[in-house]
Amino acid sequence: MTPAVQLLPLTSSLEEIPRVADAVEAFCGPLEPGPRDLHALQLALEEAVTNVISHGYGGRPGHAFTLELRREGRRVTAVLTDDAPAYDPLARAEVDIHAPLAERGIGGLGVHLVKKLMDSAAYERRDGRNVLTLARALAPPAP
Amino acid sequence: MEITASTQNDITVLALQGRLDGLASPQLEQRLDALVAAGTRKVVLDCAALNYVSSAGLRVFLGGAKKLKSAGGRAAFAALTPPVHEVFELSGFLEVLAVHPSAAAAAASLA
Repeated sequence: MTPAVQLLPLTSSLEEIPRVADAVEAFCGPLEPGPRDLHALQLALEEAVTNVISHGYGGRPGHAFTLELRREGRRVTAVLTDDAPAYDPLARAEVDIHAPLAERGIGGLGVHLVKKLMDSAAYERRDGRNVLTLARALAPPAP
Repeated sequence: MEITASTQNDITVLALQGRLDGLASPQLEQRLDALVAAGTRKVVLDCAALNYVSSAGLRVFLGGAKKLKSAGGRAAFAALTPPVHEVFELSGFLEVLAVHPSAAAAAASLA
């Protein structure tokens, strides 16, 4: 049985994205998640991890941060903790998803997806660190 | 992610397979840039075997469509799988990109 808490050390490289996706899948495995739930968690975590690497650490390699995964019943919580300068990704202005092609940019879309895909998303600056907590309750397993 | 290219007359079809995440998306961006630079103006992105796209992949889709448009061409997207369709919907991309049920329908729209 996989433990209900897992700490994943990460570095500031986009190479971590598939690693995080694999870790999320393995961690959720005992809950037998449906494809929509697994997809939502993997996508939200790619967006959040990318934000830390690209915005928090300015795309510079060599920085370490952590992802903690927790299971409580069917609720999966992910906590990203980094020591980059204070930055609240959730405070970004909402994107206009109805703008026409010529005016569409991509800034803020990742955070928009995180908010849409997670049941809850919270940011706090704690002890000189950015702490982003995301959670989603998985649907009951298929009979 | 795997990209398989084929051509039908003046239309290039890129069949995407796997995951278009932040690590894989530069590969597609380079491929699209090279096509536009070589004079291709009509591109079908066949997503029938694409089961994941993140905002990094969406950025490449949007950039590719814009570059083709400004060169006088067009991009058409085909056969979105349920997860990719959900991301397009949540992002408003169903409204700004040309999405078709099949690669054949997408190609016909560019003919």
